Amino acid sequence: MSKPTSLFVIFFSLFVMSEAVFEDQVGKFDWRQQYVGKTLFAHFDSHSQSSKKLFLATDKNIFASFNSRTGELFWRHVDKAGPEGTIDILLLHGQDALMVVGGGRLLRSWDTNMGGLNWEAVLDTGSFQAACFVAMQDTVKHVAVLKKAGTVRHWFSYLVYSGGEEEVYVLGVVPNSHLTIIAYSLEDGEIIKQRSVEAPWLSSVESSCVVVGHGVLMCVDTATLALYALPIQAEEAPQFNQILLQSLDLEVSPGFQPVLVSSQPHPARSPISEFFLQLGPDHHVLLQLNADGYTIAPLRDFQPAFLVSFSTTGEKTVAAVMTPKNETSDVFPPQLYVHAFLKKDDSVGYRVLVQTQDHALTFIQQPGRVVWTREEALADVVTMEMVDLPLTGTQAELEGEFGKKADGLFPMVLKRLSSQVILLQAWLAHLWKLFYEARKPHGQVKNEVTIETLSRDEFNLQKMMVMVTASGKLFGIDSKSGSILWKHYLENVQPNAVFKLIVQRTTAHFPHPPQCTLLIKDKDTGLASLHVFNPIFGRKSHIAPPALPRPILQSLLLPVIDQDYAKVLLLVDDQYKVTAFPSTKNVLQQLQEMASSIFFYLIRSDQGNLSGFRLRKDLSTERIWEVVLPTEVQKIVAVNGKRPNEHVHSQGRVMGDRSVLYKYLNPNLLAVVTESTDAHPERAFVGVFLVDGVTGRIIHEAVQRKARGPVHFVHSENWVVYEYWNTKSRRNEFSVLELFEGTELYNSTVFSSLDRPHLPQVLQQTYIFPSPITTMEATLTEKGITSRHLLVGLPSGAILSLPKMFLDPRRPEVVTEHSREENLIPYAPEMPIRTEWFINYNQTVARVKGIYTAPSGLESTCLVVAYGLDIYQTRVYPSKQFDVLKDDYDYVLISSVLFALFFATMISKRLAQVKLLNRAWR
Amino acid sequence: MWLHVRLSEVCLFLQAMFILACCFSDMESGPIATSGSVQPNGDRFKIEGRAIVPGVKTQDWISSARVTVEGEEYIGFLGTDGSFVVNDVPSGSYVVEVISPGYKFGAVRVDITSKGKMRARLVNFIKTSEVIRQPYPLQLRSSGPRTYLMKRETWGWTDFLMNPMVMMMVLPLLIIVLLPKVVNTNDPEMRKEMEQSMNMLNPNPELPDVSEFMTKLFSGSKSSSSKAIGGSKASGRPAVKRRWCQNITCTSGLRNYCNWSCHGNYNAIFKKSFFIRLYNCFLSRVFFPSSEIQVCK
Repeated sequence: MSKPTSLFVIFFSLFVMSEAVFEDQVGKFDWRQQYVGKTLFAHFDSHSQSSKKLFLATDKNIFASFNSRTGELFWRHVDKAGPEGTIDILLLHGQDALMVVGGGRLLRSWDTNMGGLNWEAVLDTGSFQAACFVAMQDTVKHVAVLKKAGTVRHWFSYLVYSGGEEEVYVLGVVPNSHLTIIAYSLEDGEIIKQRSVEAPWLSSVESSCVVVGHGVLMCVDTATLALYALPIQAEEAPQFNQILLQSLDLEVSPGFQPVLVSSQPHPARSPISEFFLQLGPDHHVLLQLNADGYTIAPLRDFQPAFLVSFSTTGEKTVAAVMTPKNETSDVFPPQLYVHAFLKKDDSVGYRVLVQTQDHALTFIQQPGRVVWTREEALADVVTMEMVDLPLTGTQAELEGEFGKKADGLFPMVLKRLSSQVILLQAWLAHLWKLFYEARKPHGQVKNEVTIETLSRDEFNLQKMMVMVTASGKLFGIDSKSGSILWKHYLENVQPNAVFKLIVQRTTAHFPHPPQCTLLIKDKDTGLASLHVFNPIFGRKSHIAPPALPRPILQSLLLPVIDQDYAKVLLLVDDQYKVTAFPSTKNVLQQLQEMASSIFFYLIRSDQGNLSGFRLRKDLSTERIWEVVLPTEVQKIVAVNGKRPNEHVHSQGRVMGDRSVLYKYLNPNLLAVVTESTDAHPERAFVGVFLVDGVTGRIIHEAVQRKARGPVHFVHSENWVVYEYWNTKSRRNEFSVLELFEGTELYNSTVFSSLDRPHLPQVLQQTYIFPSPITTMEATLTEKGITSRHLLVGLPSGAILSLPKMFLDPRRPEVVTEHSREENLIPYAPEMPIRTEWFINYNQTVARVKGIYTAPSGLESTCLVVAYGLDIYQTRVYPSKQFDVLKDDYDYVLISSVLFALFFATMISKRLAQVKLLNRAWR
Repeated sequence: MWLHVRLSEVCLFLQAMFILACCFSDMESGPIATSGSVQPNGDRFKIEGRAIVPGVKTQDWISSARVTVEGEEYIGFLGTDGSFVVNDVPSGSYVVEVISPGYKFGAVRVDITSKGKMRARLVNFIKTSEVIRQPYPLQLRSSGPRTYLMKRETWGWTDFLMNPMVMMMVLPLLIIVLLPKVVNTNDPEMRKEMEQSMNMLNPNPELPDVSEFMTKLFSGSKSSSSKAIGGSKASGRPAVKRRWCQNITCTSGLRNYCNWSCHGNYNAIFKKSFFIRLYNCFLSRVFFPSSEIQVCK
C-alpha cells in the first residue's frame, strides 16, 4: 500500500509545480479592479481637518471607505446580496458610522478608523421607515430608528425629527386627511404628547416636507402651488400656515413636482433656516424662513441648476449649486455630496462627489478640477467578450502578402523584399525608441495605452475586453493594463433587461472593421433591440439593425458569412418566424441552400418544454421534436451546449493496454439540468439530461437523489461536470459524466446526429468538495492540446484552478499496472483545495458572478477574466509554459557555460599543441 | 369626538417601533437591549465567537475579513477586538468560516437545535455524523499566513555543489586524493588505531555480514525495494541506517571509496545526520529515479 500513496504524493507535488503563481509573477500580467456599485449614501470624514476618507454605502450592500485623493479603496465590507443586506440608512458621527441593514433587521456601528465593527444589534421586527441621530446638550448619544410593525395602513410616510431637546418627534401622515405628531421622551421612550393637524392636501411627508429653522415643518403642495409652514413643537393646537408661491413671485414648471431641500448640520442644533425649493428640472430657488417662523424671503434664484446641496463646516454653511456648462451632456447626475472645510485663511473650501446616472462617481476639487472618476457600472458586469486587437500597418502588410493571389514570380519577389524592408524599418524604429527611452530618467517613461497605439502583440495575449453592464453602459478595456479605452452609455435600457453579446466579425477581415452586436431584451415583454458597434473603438456602426416588432425567443449565430465576412445572426420571434441579420441577398440565398441543415432549440422552462426546430427555405420553421419534463415534478434550471470555439485535439484516450477509448464528441449535445419542485431534503433531487439538439434523442439521464441546487455545471468536450448540494450529508459534491464511444469509432470522418445508432458509454464519478462554489468554467486554449483545468469561483473570492485530472470518472479505487501507466490518480472521496491553486492569490474577487476564458495565440496559455463585484484578469498555464521559454530562464548561466566551454576548448587546444611540439622535440 | 377615536385607533394599531439604543460614549459595552443567545424574534439564533491571529494587531486584518456561515447564507463581520456575532440564524447545522485573504482559519461546524442549544464540532465531510467537540462560543485561531506563491528555484554555485550527486562524486574523490597524504599509513601506530576503529564498527562479530544480507534482500522481490524507501525515510534508528548506507554504496560500483568509508573512519563521518540524508537521497535516486523531488525533501 505504501507505493500508491507515494505515487499520489508525487502527483501532488507535480501539480503544485505546474499550478501556483510564482513570486515574481505577481502583478506581471494580472490585474484587479475593485468596485462597490451605485452610491446610496455618502459621507465625508469631517472628524479631522486633513482626513482623506470618504464613506459610501451602495446598492450592492457594501459599506466602503475610500481615499478621497486617489479614489482607491481603504477597506470594504461586502454584506449578503439581496434584500437581507440592503443598507437602509448610513449616519456618520465622528468616528462612528451607523447603519440600518436589511429593512430594519440590524443596527450596526462601525469604527471608521479601523474598519471594524463596534457592535451589532438586532432590532424588533418591522419594516424600516426612518432614522436620525438624537442629541442632548450638544453630545450625540442616541440614535432613533422608526419602524413599522404589523400591517398598518393608516400612515404612509414618516419623518423623524429631533432638534436638540429631550424629545423626539415622529410625524405620520394619513394621506389626504391629517398629519399626526407624536413626541417621545428620550429617557424611556414614552409618548409625551400627541397631536393631529388637518392636512387634506398632504399625501406624503417624506417627499414634500422638510424641517426648517426652529422646528418648523415646511411642506410644498403641487395642487394649490403653496408652501405650508407648521411649528412642530408648538404647545397649543398647531395650524398650517399657507404661503402662496405666487406671493413670492415663483412659478412651478408645468408637470413638475416641487422638491424642498434643507440641512441640519448638527443633530444637537436646529436645522438652518435657509432651504432650497426646486421648481423645475433645472430651476432652484434659495429661500429663507424669517425669524417669526411664518414668512419666507427669497434669497436667490438659480437657473439653470441641476442639483443643490448644503454643507457645513464650523459655523459656516455652504450651499452648493451644480449648473451645466453645456447642453450636450447626456448623463444626468442624480446625486451630489458636498464637503466644505475651512482653509487656513478662514475662507471656505469644498470638495464635491457627484454620482451620475450611468453609475460613474466623480470627485471634484475646488476650482472644478476632476480628481478622479470611478466607473461603478463595472460592479455589475452582465456579459463580456474578448476581441482580438487589430494588426499594425506592417503586420497587415505581411499578412496581406500571403492572402493575395500569386501574380508571377518577379512581383512576388519584389513584394517579399519590400515587406522585409518595411519590417527592418519598423525594427530599427523600435530599437531607436528603446535607446531613446533608456536615456530618460526612469520615472518619466510611460507606456500608456491609447486607442491609437493598440495593436496585437506577437502571441495575441493582449485583447480588447468588451464588457456589458446591467446599467446599460458598455466598456472597452485593454486586457493587459486594465485601462478603460472606451465607454458608451446606452440610454433607455430597462433595469430588468437581459443582454447577449455576439461577435459577428472579428478583426481578421481587414479592411472590414470588427463588428459586435448586443441583443437587448426586455425581460417582461420580450421585445428586443440590437446595438451594433465596433468593439475596438466603441463606435456605433452605421449598419442599420433590423426592426424587431415581435418578442424574441432565441438567437443563434450561424457559421455562414456574408460577402463582408460578417457571421449571420438569426433571431426567432414568438411566431417562430426567423429574422436574419445581416439580411442581404447573398445571405438569404445561402440560408435557402443550407436551410435543411439548420436546427435550433427552444426552452420553455415555465412549461417544462424543450423543443427542436428546423429552418425551412422560406425562413419559417417546423417543429421536429419535443421533450416535456413535467413541471409538477421538476423544473428546468439551465441548458447548456458546448462552446462553438472549442477545439478537441485528441479523438480518444490511450489506455494502459495500448487500446484506444474513443470520446463521444457530439457537437449538438445539450446538457439540461433540472431541479425537483419538492424541496424536502429527503425527496429533493437534481437531474441531468443529455439531449441531442438535432434529433431530440435523450442520450443519457442521471438523477442525483437527496440533492438540491444551486447547480453549477460545465459542459465541454465529452464531459459534463456539475456541482450540487447533498441534502443528506450537508456537503457540496462534484459529479463528472464522461461519454465514450467505446474502443471503436462508428464513423471516424464526420459526426452526424442523424446517423449514430449506438448510444455512448457513460462513466460517472462523484467527489466531495469542501466548499460551496459560486461559479465554474473550464479553461480554453487555441488547439485544445493543453490539458484542461476547471476554474471554480469560491465565496471567499478565490478562484481555484482544479485540474480536470481530478475529475476523471476512470480514477481507480484499486491501483493496477494499467491505471498507473495511464497516470490515473487513485480515487479519493474528498477533493483537495490548496491555496497554491488559487490563481488570484490574495487578490480576491468578491461575489464572483462569471468567469470568462479565451484562448490566446499560445497553445499553453489561456486568458481568464473573473467578474462579479470586482474584475480580475490573468493568464493560466494548465500544462505549464511548454511553448515559450520560462520567465526564469537563466540566460546568464547558459551563456556563461557556453563561453566557458569555448575558452576551455581553446586553451586545451593550445596546450595540446604545446605538448605535441614538446613530444616532437624529444 | 371622531378625532379622538381615530387617535386612539392610531395608538393601538400603530405600534411604530421606537428603539432608543446604543450609547456612543462607551462602545465596548455595546447595546443593552439584546442579551442572551435567544433573540426576541423567536426561532432565530446567533452564532458567537472570536477570531485571533497570533502576533498580528487586529486592525491590520479585520477590515478585510468576514465570517461566513454555510457559504454566503449568513454573514457576520469582525469587531475591533476580533469577536464576531452572526445574527438571525435559524436552527440547523452550519459550517462557520472566517475568511481572510491573508490568514488561514479552520472551519467549524455549528449545530443549533430548535430550542437554541449550540454545539461546535470539527468539520468532517466524509463522516458527517462524527462529533469532535470544539469550544463554543467559537475560538478560531489562525494557523498562520496563507501561502499562495511559489518560490522560484534559483541557480547558485552552492546549490550545485550541495547537490547530492555532486557531493557523492566530489567528496570521496577528495578523500582519496587527500587522505593518503595526511595520514601516514606506514606508521605502525596509525595502523593499530585503524584496526581498532574497525573493531569498533563491528561490535558484534556474530552478526552476519551486512553486505551479504543486503545482496540477498535486493535480489529478492520488488516489494522489498519499496520497503527500502520506508526504511530510509525513518530516521529514528541510526543502527539500521548504517547498514543500509554501507551496503548501498558498496553495491553501487563505488566499491573503492566505499569500502574505505565504511571501514575506515566510519564513525567520524557518518555520525553526522547530513551524510545520512545524503545517502538516503542517493539511495532513492538509484532505486526511484522518478521520486527524487519528494524523497529528497
